[in-house]
Order: sequence, then C-alpha cells, then structure tokens
Amino acid sequence: MSRTNYQHLVTNPAVSMPRRIRILKNIVLIALAIILVRLFFIQIVEHDAWVAKADEAHTLLETIVAKRGEIYMMDDGEPVPVVLNQTTYQIIIDPAVTDKEGIKHALETYAKDYTVVDLDEVYDTEGLRYSIVAKNVPRDMANKIAEENIGAVWFKKNNQRVYPEGEMASGLLGFVNSDGLGQYGVEGSLNGELSGKDGLLKATADVNKVALSIGKDNVKIPAEDGKNVVLSVDRGLQKGVEEIAIDAVNSSVATNASVLVMDPNTSEVLAMANLPNYNPGDYGNVKDASAYVNYVTEVPYEPASICKSFTYSAALNEGAMTADTTYFNEGYEIVDGWKIQNAEQRASIYGTISMKTALYWSLNTGSIYALKLLGGNPAAITQQGREKLYNYYYDKFRLGQATGIELFEAEGYIPDPNEGWGRDSVYANMTFGQNLGITMIQTATAFSAVINGGIYHTPTIVKGTLEDGELKTQSQVEVVEDQILSPETSASMRDMLVNNRNYKVRDGTDKYGYAVGGKSGTAQVVRNGVYDDTYAELVGSYIGFIGPEGELPKYVIMVKMWGEGQSVGSGDAMDLFDKLSNYAINYLKIQPKA
Amino acid sequence: MQQTYTTRRNSGNSFARNHNTVRHTKRSLGSISQIVIVSMLTLIFGLIYVAESTKATSFDYEISKVEDEITEMNAKKDDLAVEKARLNSVATAKNSTVAAAMEDATVTGYVAD
Repeated sequence: MSRTNYQHLVTNPAVSMPRRIRILKNIVLIALAIILVRLFFIQIVEHDAWVAKADEAHTLLETIVAKRGEIYMMDDGEPVPVVLNQTTYQIIIDPAVTDKEGIKHALETYAKDYTVVDLDEVYDTEGLRYSIVAKNVPRDMANKIAEENIGAVWFKKNNQRVYPEGEMASGLLGFVNSDGLGQYGVEGSLNGELSGKDGLLKATADVNKVALSIGKDNVKIPAEDGKNVVLSVDRGLQKGVEEIAIDAVNSSVATNASVLVMDPNTSEVLAMANLPNYNPGDYGNVKDASAYVNYVTEVPYEPASICKSFTYSAALNEGAMTADTTYFNEGYEIVDGWKIQNAEQRASIYGTISMKTALYWSLNTGSIYALKLLGGNPAAITQQGREKLYNYYYDKFRLGQATGIELFEAEGYIPDPNEGWGRDSVYANMTFGQNLGITMIQTATAFSAVINGGIYHTPTIVKGTLEDGELKTQSQVEVVEDQILSPETSASMRDMLVNNRNYKVRDGTDKYGYAVGGKSGTAQVVRNGVYDDTYAELVGSYIGFIGPEGELPKYVIMVKMWGEGQSVGSGDAMDLFDKLSNYAINYLKIQPKA
Repeated sequence: MQQTYTTRRNSGNSFARNHNTVRHTKRSLGSISQIVIVSMLTLIFGLIYVAESTKATSFDYEISKVEDEITEMNAKKDDLAVEKARLNSVATAKNSTVAAAMEDATVTGYVAD
C-alpha cells in the first residue's frame, strides 16, 4: 500500500487560510487591546489632564485688566491730569519675510519718532526672525500702518503711562515698570490704590476666542479700576519752583536740589521738586538711578543749623529762656573734650549777647546754651537737658520717625539721650542739627509747627480722589493735630526768624508788608567717621516762611542743594529761597498787610 | 374611546342568541410608530435646542462686536484725553503764541506797596 503524501496539503492555500485568519484575528485583537489600554489610560488614568486639554481648546480664560488710575495735580482749584493712560503698540517684523521697503516706508511715514532700530542693520543680521522695530506707537498711527497690509507685521498692544508735563515732578510721581508695577514716587507708594483689581473672564469660546454664553461654567468677575488720585500739589507752582531751582543749580556748583513748599497750617504739600528730573515715560534710559529717589522723604540727612529753631523752641516752650536771655559767647565750647566752634567768628559778637542775636548769627554756642538751660544748669549739659531735648525732637516734633505722608519715606534717627558714649557732645551737636538724621519732610513739618501757632499736623500730599469728574476729598493719612508748642512760643520764634531776614528787607530782596522769616543750615559731610573740617563738601539748606505781616504764615519753603565733592553753602540755598519766596508771593497772590 | 362593533354568534348563551354583542377594546400604537414618534420628538426638541443655541450664539457675536466697539471708543477717548492734557500742559501753554505775546508779570503791585 503506497503511503499517501499529504505534503501538498500543507502548502495548499485552501487549507492554510484559517491560520492566516487566526493571525489576522490575533493582530486585530492585539490592536484592540492596545486601543483599549490606551483608552483606559486616556479615560481613567489621564482623565483630568485630557479634560483640561479639552477645556483649554474651547475655554476662554483671560484676565480683565483693571484700568490704572490717573494722577492729578491742582491748578486754580481744579484737578488737572499729570499722569494718564494710553493704548499704544509695539510693531514687530520678521526680517526674513517682511517686505523691507514696505515697512521702511510705513515707519518713516507714520511712526518715525517711535522707530527704535536701524532697519538696514536689522535686515543685514543673518538668521534674525523677530525684531521690535517701533515702540509706543499711538493707536491711530498703528492703524494706518496696519492698513498698508504689509505681510509679517505684528502689532502688540501696550497700556502706556503718559506724562503730559514731561519731566516735571518726576521724582515725586515715579513711573510704572514693564510689569505694570508702580515704582518710586506716588506711582510706587500708592500702587495699590492706582492699580485697582483685575477681573476674570472664563467662558466657552469659539475658534476665534469669542466668548459664548452657552457654557455652564462661565464666570465673569468685572475688573475694579484703580482710583484717580488727586495730589495737593499745585501744578503751576510746581513748574515755577522747578524752573527757578534748575536755574539755581545751573548757576552754582551744586548738581542736585530738592525743594518743598508746604501750607504750614495744614501741612499740605504744594510743591515737591527733586532735581535733576528725568522722563518717567523713558525711565529705562536714566543713567544714574539716584534720579529716581525722592530726597524730600526718602533720604535722612543733617539739616545743620536749621535745627536751632527746634532747640530754641524747646527751651522757650519750657520757660527756660526768652529771646532776650543773654549768655557769654566765647566763640566755642569744649564738650566731652571736643572743641565745638561757631562758624561766625567776628569780634562784634563776642561777649554777652542775646539768644536772638545768637540765632541771627547762627551761633552754635547759642544753641548749646539753650540745651544747658533746658537742663536747668546754665553751666553744663545735664541728663535732664538731653532728655528734654530728646522729648521735643522725637516725641513732639516727630523727628527721626516716619511722618505718615502718602509717600515712601525713611525714618532717620535721633540719638538716645543716655545710651552710648559722649552723650553731651552728641547732644551739643544735635542742637545745631548734626549727629542726627532727619528727612526734609520731617524738618518742614516740624518747622511748620514752630511758626503756625504750635500745632503739629501730619503732612499730606493727597487731596482726594476724582470720581466721575468730581473731587472727593478724603484723607489717606492718620490725621494728627497736636498742640506741641504754646502760641506764645510760636510767636516768639516767628519774631526771631523774621529778625534773621530783616536785612533782606533793607536790601530789597524781601518786600515790605510781608513777614518772611527763615533759617539757614550748612552741613559738613562725614568722612571716615568724623566731620570733614576742610569743608571740601558741604550741603546747603534753607527753610523759611512767608505771610502777610502780622498774620500767620501762609507758606513754608525748604530748600536743599548739594553736589558730590562740591562745597555748596547755605548761601546758595538762601538765594534760591529768596527767589522762590518772591515767586510764591506773586503766584499765590499773597497780599501784604494793608 | 372608540367602540368596536363585532358581530359574532354566541352559541353558548341562549339569551343572547342572534344578538350582536359589543366589546370595548383599546387601540394602541405599534412599536414602530412609537419609535418614529419618539424620534421625531427628539429631533424636534434637538432642532429647537440648536436653533436657540445658534440664536444665543449670534447674540454673543453681537455682544462681542459691541464690546470691541466700546474698547475702541475708550481707546479713542483716552487718546483725546492725552491730547487735551498735552495741549493744556504748562510747557505747551508757556511756549504758545498767546503766552509769547504776554507781558512779564514778575512784579505784582498791591495798594499797600
């Protein structure tokens, strides 16, 4: 029996088909299994991530940006804007694609002043695919460029702060950085009020990101716009003060000047200048960052002999002396082994002189004598005298502590009357404004109390807010009205301070019919821990008041002038004060005594 | 309810011989009809929903358009406010032809002078 050969059956297509189908079936099953596993991961394991992706695709989530509040100054009793907002655009091109001649023509025609690059250089740079060619382009000009339909040109919207007064009051106003945060000045200190609160829009959107109302989780929280802040600063006075101060700096060795004008009866700031100014709209190009600093509130310094007004006030108010009290002036004092001299050494003022005369000549021996009298011992500085002077300087005049004004401010310091070495010499120096650190705003506020009848008012620079075009006056500071000196003390101080300037009336600088009083201060600079007796660098200051004769003063003006390595005396500061006081009389229409 | 009259001979009841009897029966829709009706209703409600959604969406586009216009108008208003502020700035006023023609007012006279 022959053996049947089944070999042919193995290769028979009809017989091999089921195996292939099985293979195919297995492949399909494996594919299905893979799909199922993947689906399991997508649906179960990665569920949240995929839901988030889906939401992202059709959900519009954007911040509704709050409009930053504007800043106003006063002008003839009405608020006028000095800081505004404007929508501007950055123009961006892709040099590899954008038509060079087209964009060049468009920029030259519509945005020449806003072009920030050399287009030829941009197009010559190999591989460059992104270039900002113009910044801060106003909306209407950007629209005109857009109408040119040049390919590969993009417009990026910006909210820009605009300063229509240019550089005026830059140290006071500050600026807003590229992150939208206020920096320095009012922009910085009142950033919270000015910036408002952003809102939120979460909605289902179409492919063009148009919000649709069909979604069930739509959320719209409206933005709360920032407040429009109205400063008490008078715009015209500010401008005039700055122009006069710039002239004064240019005609002296000083490189910097700060000026503060204040109403002594309310401590409202009417002008605050820091020179040199800068353009807040172009703050990035400022070479010396110290230009951002508001020296009136942020930098403590030694106002020198200006502080004699405070020492005298303390002694007068304690009944320890009068303007006619006399002492023997030898031209110097030895305290704790240190020789403290008067700057003025003319022979006619040696010997027995009155305190009034000592203040006129700004004698250090006079203010040291007032400290001795405060301590009850005309022959020596005592602990009681130091403690009383500290009480007046720190507790009553609030020197060496923040005033509470709506600006960034430094505290400064007043030395402890008992702790530390050489307290007598420290306090002897403190009577004429050395060995302490106080700011101009502290000094001017305390000086206002000295001459306004004795009442300390918290200084303020914010008059209120502007809502729907209406000024709503509201104080943003903790209002303090503290009678720290008797009216008699204040009147006596006014007389002595006016006496300081009587010669100014005689020489025609001050006008008849007005009470203009003041006190100068020339501060030595500390080098290597000691005062530099070479006077190579000096800081000149002057503070004074103006008012009709026989009435309470209307305005206090404080001036500080300095320059690194420059000897700026109080004479320069006084000259500036003279010009400012006469300008203020005219500008503010102060009428003389009838 | 409709009545269905059925004529039939009831041989088991002598009293009802040769009488027509009346039987009340319910007439119900067939399953196919029910499916069709439910489908139609679903379709109608679906169409109404789509129509309403489309209507709401068209309002959304209108709202979006109006909001864009408001944004544009606000931007124009800001531009005008800035221009006004620039024209009213002290520097502009000082450099104006009107100011140039004015006399220097550095000396103010009063009766008491």
